[in-house]
Amino acid sequence: MKPAPFLFLGIFCALSFSFVGLVLTNQLTYGAFTTHVDEDEGKAFPQPLPGLAAQGKLVYQDLGCVACHTQQVRREGFGADFGERGRGWGERQSVARDYLRDERVLLGSQRVGPDLRNFAARKNADGTEHNAEWLFKYLYAPTSVVRESNMPRYAFLFKTQPIIGQGSSKALKLSGALAPAAGYEVVPTSRGEALVAYLLSLKDTYAYPETKNIYTAPAPKAGAKQEGHK
Amino acid sequence: MATDSSLPSDLTPERPSSQPHEASVIDASLRTPLTVLISSALIWLLAASVLGIIAAWKLHTPGFLDTCEFMTYGRIQPAQSNAFIYGWGFNAAFAVSLWLMARLSRGMLPGSGVLLLGAAFWNVGVTLGVGGIILGFSTSIEWLEMPGFAAPLLLVAYALIGAWSLVVYRSGRSSEIYASQWYLFAALFAFPWIYSVAQVLLVFAPVRGTVQSIVHVWFTSNLFLLWFASVALAAVYYFLPKLLLKPVSNYYLASLAFWWLVVFGSWAGLSRLLGGPVPAWVQTVGAAASFMMIVPLVVIGMNVFGTLSGHWSALKGSLTLRFIVFGAVAFALWLLALIAGATQGFASLTQFTYFTAAEGQLGLYGFFSMVVFGALYYIVPRVLNSDWASVPLAGVHFVASALGVILLVGSLALGGLTQGALLADAKVPFAGITQASLPYLFSANVGLLVLAIGQIAFALNFFWTLARASAPSVRSVKVLLAAQPEVSR
Repeated sequence: MKPAPFLFLGIFCALSFSFVGLVLTNQLTYGAFTTHVDEDEGKAFPQPLPGLAAQGKLVYQDLGCVACHTQQVRREGFGADFGERGRGWGERQSVARDYLRDERVLLGSQRVGPDLRNFAARKNADGTEHNAEWLFKYLYAPTSVVRESNMPRYAFLFKTQPIIGQGSSKALKLSGALAPAAGYEVVPTSRGEALVAYLLSLKDTYAYPETKNIYTAPAPKAGAKQEGHK
Repeated sequence: MATDSSLPSDLTPERPSSQPHEASVIDASLRTPLTVLISSALIWLLAASVLGIIAAWKLHTPGFLDTCEFMTYGRIQPAQSNAFIYGWGFNAAFAVSLWLMARLSRGMLPGSGVLLLGAAFWNVGVTLGVGGIILGFSTSIEWLEMPGFAAPLLLVAYALIGAWSLVVYRSGRSSEIYASQWYLFAALFAFPWIYSVAQVLLVFAPVRGTVQSIVHVWFTSNLFLLWFASVALAAVYYFLPKLLLKPVSNYYLASLAFWWLVVFGSWAGLSRLLGGPVPAWVQTVGAAASFMMIVPLVVIGMNVFGTLSGHWSALKGSLTLRFIVFGAVAFALWLLALIAGATQGFASLTQFTYFTAAEGQLGLYGFFSMVVFGALYYIVPRVLNSDWASVPLAGVHFVASALGVILLVGSLALGGLTQGALLADAKVPFAGITQASLPYLFSANVGLLVLAIGQIAFALNFFWTLARASAPSVRSVKVLLAAQPEVSR
């Protein structure tokens, strides 16, 4: 049909078109996006992850948590991520600036489990706060904490060791079939501690200028007059 | 529909050659490399199947194999998808595209040493990559989970393999370029570009923030559309007229579909980011591009089903045709799902649910793999110069594959819609959603088991044919040229 050089040129141009249009344009327009300096607080947001949490993120990556958990709160009108009749997965939608410090952005594509972007900022179903003790126990044996949980156990992030002296302060309070043999205790490994530190660092609660004054369509009122059409 | 018999004969893929044995000489020159590529593809297919069944089992029975870190779902699932994509998909696509290019360009493969080296590198790279994922070196970037140390190896191997398609084209006698070859050139050209861009901008020198997500979606959607779908479409455009003994109907529109797919399709996948933390214009453009896929849908539909109309009875006689038509229908459904996903209502319902997994399986298994299976049923006997060892096994393969795809994709899609509807209703607790999706996950797993039966039948048949073919008379190009034996086709 066509001589080969023209075919190649055409394919080259077509790919350049999408490469320049999507990859390059976005990199040039908001690839150099900066943090927001809050003069009142004297901090730049988003804040960097504390050291242990940064290590925990690597554990999160190597265990492939992203296969089941997203980390993005969609805007209103998209599912029920947040808002009045939402699941309360966040106080607001996720915006690009939230991810500025993430060396690897783990938006995820499956919600086999709940979204984790604001994990540390929200509460359990029974109203209690997420804390390390709860989380350790949940990772060790999910169904012992939430009976219907479908998450696999991460018992390999823990070790059973003999109790020496008063025992470790980090030992899990286990009962029943999960309890270790007498004289032994279950404590998280360093990877387990790092992972929990990471999960407890996940909160996008800071309100950036761009997250304020977002237009939301008003709830339709019966019999309300339309303005502007007098 | 009007007959197209008045169209010039150069619209059929291959014109009768003045040299009667040309095709078998070309086939013989491809024998060793294709045997290696297809064998490794099949081994990866079976490996991916085992990993896939383990992963799927874990979804509805999380206690299954949960004591070992290497078997946790978050590692098995990406190991499965990478083994499937880079192990089965690429090896098979290399084999099919090389054969198609050689036949269409009427060029022999001058030698296979470098190509075999490339194939070895590729498989070592995929082994390192999949092993790396299981051992905990995953990058956690979907479809790019293989650790950074595997990627350069894959690119080098790709260059060593992909270049031969160009060599074959250049050395060929045919100066025309048929529709299949457009798609093959696009695929050959696109992969190194998108893969190296994605590796550099995501793994080696990550860009800031959610620009990563855009680069990532750009890569994954183009990997499917410009690599897998292009190779499969090349096979569809080749085999359809060849097996039906008539030119592709409305062939003049085929170039429109091709350019539309390359120019706008490469923007289309961004609709996956609808509602996400990326600029609004990116989402809008992505949705528009996805919606524009209606044009290739219509044109390819006219090409494929126009050619088929009135010839449906040919499906009974040809296994290759059955696989390819199944694949073409799957591609049409995949495009429909992509177009539907460009609308906000549908996107917010299906986003992050098993429906997206169903779309992935429909594209990679229902379309790409089915078309490749069909192509291999035609290619293998010619390249090995031996009939398939078992006809019943081939029948089992088709029935199991078709049933398996329908069961797998159907249950994931229905499960995804249920899951999406429940997710949107905040009154349903999360555990309730998990419980509601269990039956669908279970039937999807049955689908995977049925698919595995088909794969085992296919692998058995292939290796049996290979063993039989190499036993009596090994025919090299030289022997063939000297003796000019009977040609089977």
